Amino acid sequence: MAGEAISVQGRARVAGRAIATGSPYLLIAPALLFMAAVSVYPLFYGVRASLAEYKYGRELGFQGLDNYRRVLADDVFWQAMYVTLRFVLIAVTLETILGVALAVLLSRDLRFAGLIRTGLIIPMTVAPVVVGIVWRLIYASDVGIVNPLFRVAGLTPPDVLSHGTSAFLGLVAVDVWEWTPLIMLIVLAGLHGLPREPIEGARVDGASELRVFFDHTLPLVRPVLLVAIILRTIDAIGTFDQVFVLTKGGPGTSTQLIAIYGYNTAFRFSQYGQASAMMLLVLIGMSVLLVAAIRTIRGAAKKATGAA
Amino acid sequence: MKRVLDARMTRRELLRNSAMFGAATFAVTTLSACGLGKKSSESNKIVIGAFQDNALAPLRDTFFKRFTDETGIKVQYNETNYDSWYQNAKNDGLNKTGAYDIYIMDDNWVPEFAAAGILIDLEAAGLKPNPDLLENGLNQGYWPPKVGPRLKDVANDEPKLYALPIDDDVQMLYYNSDQFSSAPTTWDEIFAAMKDKADPPNMYGWTIRGVKGNPIVQTYLPVLNSYGGAFANDDWTPGFDGAEGVAALERIFSFIPYMPRGIVEFDTDQEIQVLLQGQSLALTEYTGLTQRIDDPESSTVVGKIDCAATPAEEKSGPAIGIFNAGIPPSAPNTDGAIQFLDWFTSDDVQLDFAKTGSAAVTRKALTDPSAISEARWLPAMADAVDNSTPKPRTPDEPKMEDILGTELNKALVDAIGANGKYGGIAQKHLSAAADQMTSYLQQQGGYY
Repeated sequence: MAGEAISVQGRARVAGRAIATGSPYLLIAPALLFMAAVSVYPLFYGVRASLAEYKYGRELGFQGLDNYRRVLADDVFWQAMYVTLRFVLIAVTLETILGVALAVLLSRDLRFAGLIRTGLIIPMTVAPVVVGIVWRLIYASDVGIVNPLFRVAGLTPPDVLSHGTSAFLGLVAVDVWEWTPLIMLIVLAGLHGLPREPIEGARVDGASELRVFFDHTLPLVRPVLLVAIILRTIDAIGTFDQVFVLTKGGPGTSTQLIAIYGYNTAFRFSQYGQASAMMLLVLIGMSVLLVAAIRTIRGAAKKATGAA
Repeated sequence: MKRVLDARMTRRELLRNSAMFGAATFAVTTLSACGLGKKSSESNKIVIGAFQDNALAPLRDTFFKRFTDETGIKVQYNETNYDSWYQNAKNDGLNKTGAYDIYIMDDNWVPEFAAAGILIDLEAAGLKPNPDLLENGLNQGYWPPKVGPRLKDVANDEPKLYALPIDDDVQMLYYNSDQFSSAPTTWDEIFAAMKDKADPPNMYGWTIRGVKGNPIVQTYLPVLNSYGGAFANDDWTPGFDGAEGVAALERIFSFIPYMPRGIVEFDTDQEIQVLLQGQSLALTEYTGLTQRIDDPESSTVVGKIDCAATPAEEKSGPAIGIFNAGIPPSAPNTDGAIQFLDWFTSDDVQLDFAKTGSAAVTRKALTDPSAISEARWLPAMADAVDNSTPKPRTPDEPKMEDILGTELNKALVDAIGANGKYGGIAQKHLSAAADQMTSYLQQQGGYY
């Protein structure tokens, strides 16, 4: 009888332990299922589509790596990749320099700092399509304001969207206008969290403001800055709306970013398999970039912690 | 109530309740997805999907109501932008969603939709096309095409009618009648007039759509066709990189000094604005513009813009880009859809459609004196449809157009920068487009 009671107690204990071990997994299961549905499944579907043959929008079956071969042999793909990388490099660099400068400026006790900060973040709150429309009107050679401004200054009107180089730079300018505030906000938050002692110590020792910034502030804020740069880089690679509204990738292919070419390949030319392969190749490239960046951040964070 | 609020849940109760909640949510979503909330398929209603276009405004604003009044069948009209509707229609057809009874399509969608099996054979479904339909318009609804090159795998198939024309949209010449004593008939006449009368920026000689892709191809085609070139030859080789194609493009280059700055970035809106503000002698455009030329809210030259066939070199060769209506196999009300197409293309309705100034699809309507007295451009429309040249009838046409349109745009940029010394530019870019197009079609297979 006593043995039976012990056995019942033991079973209850085992069951209790099983519940204790299993319940966290059960509790996160709905979230995991949701993530699988919205994130993993589309990725899986994309991989499958990249290995399939499509005709007239219908899937005909597995065709191995043919789509990848076609993409890698496609000159327009490489041209779009080149334009995208150039765009990301120039835009993100400018945004970083301007964003950090603005953040440092606003971290001081300026009058109306709150107002200025609010004004500066307005561009990034506007929908990208609207940004595209507004800048299309600004750049337009017939009704825009850029050409008249150049005329007033006695210069030749540039017809921004009519030439490859000026259209590309015009696109970069739009991106910088819209997304510099994001870097500014992230860096500003980082600056507010910095220890004051090393910076004040350097000032007491007579270091110039420039020296304090490059020797102390920048190294300390570097991990935060790198996060901001990574976020912007990922976002800039996928830039679509502004280009679609402003230039549709032209003149020629001068502003045809990879997102625009991928969209056209899938939805205008109905080459779903090639478009999927193209986007997966971009994803792989981005992942490599991300891993490298995360390693750099970790290294920088360790260094900064050591320095502090 | 207090007891319930105060009650603390044991872990077991939490798990049980969570499981029940999850199961309930799953059941509700799954059952809805399986169609418990099935759409209604009323026999007295048809759903028509379309893209937004000026040319479709009279259909939307007047004729659906009249159809309902005459037949008792309600019309639900879903209109969205061009790209979105193309995707919506294709997805609806491929997935057999059954959300629409009629797709209104651009003519170059028909080959892809018909080949993919997402349109029904209208004649097999009982439709008898009005024999007075303009032939070049009607031909755009057949797959495989009745005229022009065919893909190898449908080379010997009997053409079937998958779509009916509802608006014979075609390119015409629009000219300012204050500047011409009669309609110019050749490109030389147009060029002579711009040398004589154009005074940029007050009065331009000509204006175009210069944006890469479809817009600049539409600018080029009526000139190319008139010079004896072709988008694609009967054996699918490019028909624009020879002497005719080069001469046609150089003719456009010769207009550059008389065109507005920034034409490289001009699309329809900018191009027609120049004409409607009385600042251009002439241009070529599709028929949708007729809805605006006499509208005082759009135009400062009301009554002064006339229409004619696009100018000729060897012949007049406007591009045709008609709007078709087709029915998917999954349409909930096929009979109602057939009834609508039959009704709308009937003689009486087409005559009233022509009287709104629209591109009616029957000859009688476009040549009826009472209609012409209300819309002076109708004879020019009939003439343009009769002279029109279709784009290549293949599902790969959008890519072919993109290839040609990108090189044409590059050529225009180069020619503008060359300050009149544009020798060699046309040949270089047209040859590049021809090489890319040939290589693309070889890769796709089924052409050579």
